[in-house]
Amino acid sequence: MTKRVAEEDERAVKEAVNPARLQVSSGNLFGLCLGAWLLPGLGHLLLGRKWRALILFVSIVGMFVLGLAMQGQYFSLGSGSYLHTLGYFAELSVGVPMRAATFFGYGGGDTFFVCSDYGTAFLIGAGMLNVLTVLDAYDIAWGRKP
Amino acid sequence: MVISHFTALVLFSFFVSVVFAILNREKLRDQMIYGAKVFLSFVGIALLLGWIMYPFS
Repeated sequence: MTKRVAEEDERAVKEAVNPARLQVSSGNLFGLCLGAWLLPGLGHLLLGRKWRALILFVSIVGMFVLGLAMQGQYFSLGSGSYLHTLGYFAELSVGVPMRAATFFGYGGGDTFFVCSDYGTAFLIGAGMLNVLTVLDAYDIAWGRKP
Repeated sequence: MVISHFTALVLFSFFVSVVFAILNREKLRDQMIYGAKVFLSFVGIALLLGWIMYPFS
């Protein structure tokens, strides 16, 4: 696996980085970013970076699952607090895993649980990392990065 | 899952370091070195800040 990852990296680095080269059409670019948001790592998978996609998926979803295990709090839009609203969008940024957790019965966390604050930080952190992943996929599609 | 604050810090730093390394470096060796640096920076600075705050606790 290490050799294959190294070969993939070499191939990616050797490709000429042309700022004007768009790897996907503008319509597909929107779809790429949407897919990258919905499922962590999907954007990189669609661009052919298989191992990166897998590592990003495992890391971000793993971080999110740990947040759920620590009873992290789900924020909502109607809380009346700006910070809670920001927290809602941060957690929403992780994509489908958030909705999937709700579907499988996660009730939004227990704020009285001893590790709940840590869990909330993990949930928000996973969302923010997914935002970086989406932006990275966008840059790769635009040819700004190898 | 009940974990200590330090364990949560280390886990958080690990995941963030992995993602940062993947996104900011291309070659595997560069990713490993950069990820290690980021991880050690996270944990080290957190410990440093903890000791700086300790006299005021």
